[in-house]
Amino acid sequence: MSGTRSDDDLDPRLLTGAYALDAVSATEAESFEKATDSSATLRDETDGLVETATLLGLAATPVTPSTRLKADLMAKLSSTPQLPLSGAGSARHAATDAPESLDQAPDAAHSPAASVAEVIPAEVPATVSPAEAAPALAGPVESRARARWFSRPVGFVAGVAAAAALFVGGGFVGSALTDQPGAPVVTDASASGLAEIAAADDVARQTVAVDGGGTATLVWSNELGRSAVLVDGLPTLPDGKVYEAWYIDADGAAPAGTFAAAAEGTSWHVLDGALTPGDTIGVTVEPAGGSPAPTTTPIIVGETA
Amino acid sequence: MLELVTTDRGPDTESAEAAVTFESLLELISRGDQEAFSELYDRTAPRVLGLVKRVLVDHAQSEEVAQEVFLEIWKTASKFESHRGSAMSWILTMSHRRAVDRVRSSQAGHDRDERIGLRDIEPEYDQVSESVEIRIEHERVKRAMAQLTELQREAISLAYYGGYSHSEIAGILSIPVGTVKTRLRDGMIRLRDELGVHS
Repeated sequence: MSGTRSDDDLDPRLLTGAYALDAVSATEAESFEKATDSSATLRDETDGLVETATLLGLAATPVTPSTRLKADLMAKLSSTPQLPLSGAGSARHAATDAPESLDQAPDAAHSPAASVAEVIPAEVPATVSPAEAAPALAGPVESRARARWFSRPVGFVAGVAAAAALFVGGGFVGSALTDQPGAPVVTDASASGLAEIAAADDVARQTVAVDGGGTATLVWSNELGRSAVLVDGLPTLPDGKVYEAWYIDADGAAPAGTFAAAAEGTSWHVLDGALTPGDTIGVTVEPAGGSPAPTTTPIIVGETA
Repeated sequence: MLELVTTDRGPDTESAEAAVTFESLLELISRGDQEAFSELYDRTAPRVLGLVKRVLVDHAQSEEVAQEVFLEIWKTASKFESHRGSAMSWILTMSHRRAVDRVRSSQAGHDRDERIGLRDIEPEYDQVSESVEIRIEHERVKRAMAQLTELQREAISLAYYGGYSHSEIAGILSIPVGTVKTRLRDGMIRLRDELGVHS
């Protein structure tokens, strides 16, 4: 440690290479990632360098593993639970179109959706949630790998990060998201709900264009049975109108709460009620107070699959 | 993807994707297909173990970490998103970070200290057979590395293959941390451009 510290050392822009090579401390990585959330330039450079770093792995001399390694691994598969597929559509496929080879692992394959509840909690603490547990099995660096690959969509990450930052601000949340101070469009409960979904192991999301302008990102966790919609650039509605979210399935649309959209930045709404895997999430414009059933054409439609 | 119900590398797959890519194998694995896992293992394990061992040196520990990596692949295959990067990158990112985590928390850290200076990237191929796609990738990286300055190559090798943090590298090379960061960044940008990586 002969380095001399200067202000330059703290400039995240200089850290992209070190970060991509996993040559930063956990603390640095954390603050660096915060910086990438608020800078598209930084983020792009980082993503490119991370991708480049992985190619370096291909320059390492290959080493033939012992035969025991594979034997041990294969023996462990049947007793090693798998994370469920993100969407119910995929889960259905797994259930009904399971390859014949799955005969070797019937329990793991034939009822993925139904068995999620039993399968996941048993294994989660030690192995599939390294961010929260078991540093010996998965340390901070590897957790960042997960963070990058499993929740990387840039807009989404930035949106959630912004949300998290606002949430940390406590009472700041509401007024920051609406042009009407004192009329919060989200509550702290909603913010923590979003954080909870975003942190779920099976978090999935989809970005969809919005009829009439703007973008919406649907975020959901089948494990939690919860979902949220993050919106950006939606028109501010006239007095007497609200956005209303819906869970839509073959039986129709169930109301999932109303919300307003901020004039600028990202607003979000954690849907009321429970998400059933495979539900379609919709948003319509409704009279203030919401409607029991949609009265207009949805401006946002996305399948949780 | 539903057509891919076999892991045989037959020419008759109807998938829109190329026949049994790593991405397709991950898709099958995510549904519990042990044969697909077996094939993915056969095709990537030497790479995974090679990278891990490059960082950890110790063979037994490296096999432990490689096993963790493959179990992680089995568990989390459903989370892989092909539009966000290649399967090989996903696997190697996971492998490298697990290896670095291990080296920073174990005896392996001492082992690697004894081989500072061993920074060649010229592999010996005789011992393994591997797929053409990986071999091509390797050639690309080797050529790109040759475009770096010696100082950049040294810093990047210490970081990536040695698993050293930038401050450790600063200590090893007796240069300021800021210089290390600059070398790592400049070198990686050069590599990225040479390799034609687009984020």
